[in-house]
Amino acid sequence: MKRRVVLVDDHGLFLAGVRAELGDAVDVVGEAGSVADAVPLIKERDPDVVLLDVHLPDGSGDAVINAVAPERPGVKFLALSVSDAAEDVIAVIRAGARGYVTKTIAADELAAAIERVAEGDAVFSPRLAGFVLDAFRAGEEIGGDAELNELTPREREVLQLIARGYMYKEIAVRLHLSVKTVESHVSNVLRKLQLSTRHELTRWATQHRLV
Amino acid sequence: MRLPSFATSTDERALAGVCAGIARDLGVDVTLVRLVFALLALAGGAGILLYLALWAWSRSRPWWAVVMVIVTAFLILDAVGLPDRAVWGIVFVAAGLAVAWRKGGSFRMDAPLSYGGLALAGFGAILLLMGSDAPTHLLGPGAVAGALLLIGGPWLWRLALDRDAERTARIRTEERADVAARVHDSVLQTLALIQRHAQEPRRVASLARRQERELRGWLYADHQFQGESLLDALSAAAADVEELHGVRVELASAGDAPADNALVLAAREAMTNAAKFSGAEEIDVYQEVTADEIAVFVRDRGKGFDRAAVPADRKGIAESIEARLHRAGGIATVTSKPGEGTEVELRLPR
Repeated sequence: MKRRVVLVDDHGLFLAGVRAELGDAVDVVGEAGSVADAVPLIKERDPDVVLLDVHLPDGSGDAVINAVAPERPGVKFLALSVSDAAEDVIAVIRAGARGYVTKTIAADELAAAIERVAEGDAVFSPRLAGFVLDAFRAGEEIGGDAELNELTPREREVLQLIARGYMYKEIAVRLHLSVKTVESHVSNVLRKLQLSTRHELTRWATQHRLV
Repeated sequence: MRLPSFATSTDERALAGVCAGIARDLGVDVTLVRLVFALLALAGGAGILLYLALWAWSRSRPWWAVVMVIVTAFLILDAVGLPDRAVWGIVFVAAGLAVAWRKGGSFRMDAPLSYGGLALAGFGAILLLMGSDAPTHLLGPGAVAGALLLIGGPWLWRLALDRDAERTARIRTEERADVAARVHDSVLQTLALIQRHAQEPRRVASLARRQERELRGWLYADHQFQGESLLDALSAAAADVEELHGVRVELASAGDAPADNALVLAAREAMTNAAKFSGAEEIDVYQEVTADEIAVFVRDRGKGFDRAAVPADRKGIAESIEARLHRAGGIATVTSKPGEGTEVELRLPR
């Protein structure tokens, strides 16, 4: 069964390109170019996955997620963009996106990412992995719920390899783990990213600009 | 070390011009020198012999000179009233040192010391030390210490000089290696590209312009990436490689730091290698800055290679990446296997 996908992006050219590249791999059931258009469209079409640009003309991607998620908990979001600031990407992930890829991603990899997100797994591009490592590192000594506020050494290792461009199965070989275990580490990191109470993760944005 | 020439002077000479020559070399009045020689002549004819010795020296007959100087020393010491035994001891030490010095006397570290000369000097020292007469208590140890100083001094001095020379040479070599790496990365690559696109005049012109800009920037700026952040510099390098070689470069980062020349250039070379040789369409670059280290990883999922099979004249990895980072105080590791892609790991302590 093909995944039903809604594309939300304000660049017509990019939309056309993605549609053409994905071809028969998925079923594109709708397109929108703004937050205002996207929210009702997603609610109406109820797709499996929404490909969501981090930046839209009338707001950022997390606005779409916040408006849709309460009513359509089954819809999964995959964020994508060209080159956004780390804090914007983190914000979209914290709002509930299951992953982040850059727009330069190859078509087959994008299709694979959509599939993975639809199944409830997380998709970490190298860039997102870097952002997350950075976010969790700032002020390691901060207290609170350590289970949520810190990455385990293993999770850190997995994220570093993702950042270096390793695929899950390559990471599994390298760390002598099963692919399933690698996936669960990544999902754990995503959960921490979304639930962490460490104010570093939110305040980090401002810090990051100063660096 | 330059020995005084003791060249004779023809201007004010009375006999062979030895005194005049010394006076000129030392910048004193010639009469004073003549007076010294005259006084020494009273000491059993030592002054006359010394005169002849210096004259022989100036006529490039060093052996005659040495022999006569030794005899002169003997005469003077005898005249001073030292016992025969001590005089002979001193003469042997002096003669031995003269031989040793002459053999190793080019003041080169690797010049062999004359063991015969040393033995002779040692024999003289023993003669001195064995003497029970009063002056030898001072003379003996003094002579030995002096001998050691004479043998070791020039050697140590030379050692210090050599170290300096070596450092200068090393700095020069490093600079040259830097230039070579630089030329290899940019100019040679551009020339190769120009040859490949010889049929496209506009492309050639733009490549040449770009190279010119880059070379100028490098020649006239001390630190090319000064003030730039590492991430910015790597982004620019990645964009360049994408444009030049038609590959995708994915850049990820955790943390940022001021750009380091060697690190950026090595990373750029690693990207260029991946773009040119791996066959992969995408290159992953990850920069990680921690409290004590900056690390950059350049990875491709291309065909990989066997390091042992790379011809030695291909300088890319050894020179432009490993040696360059090494000079900057870091470590570069290249991991590759045929069929499994390549990863270049660059680490630089902060």
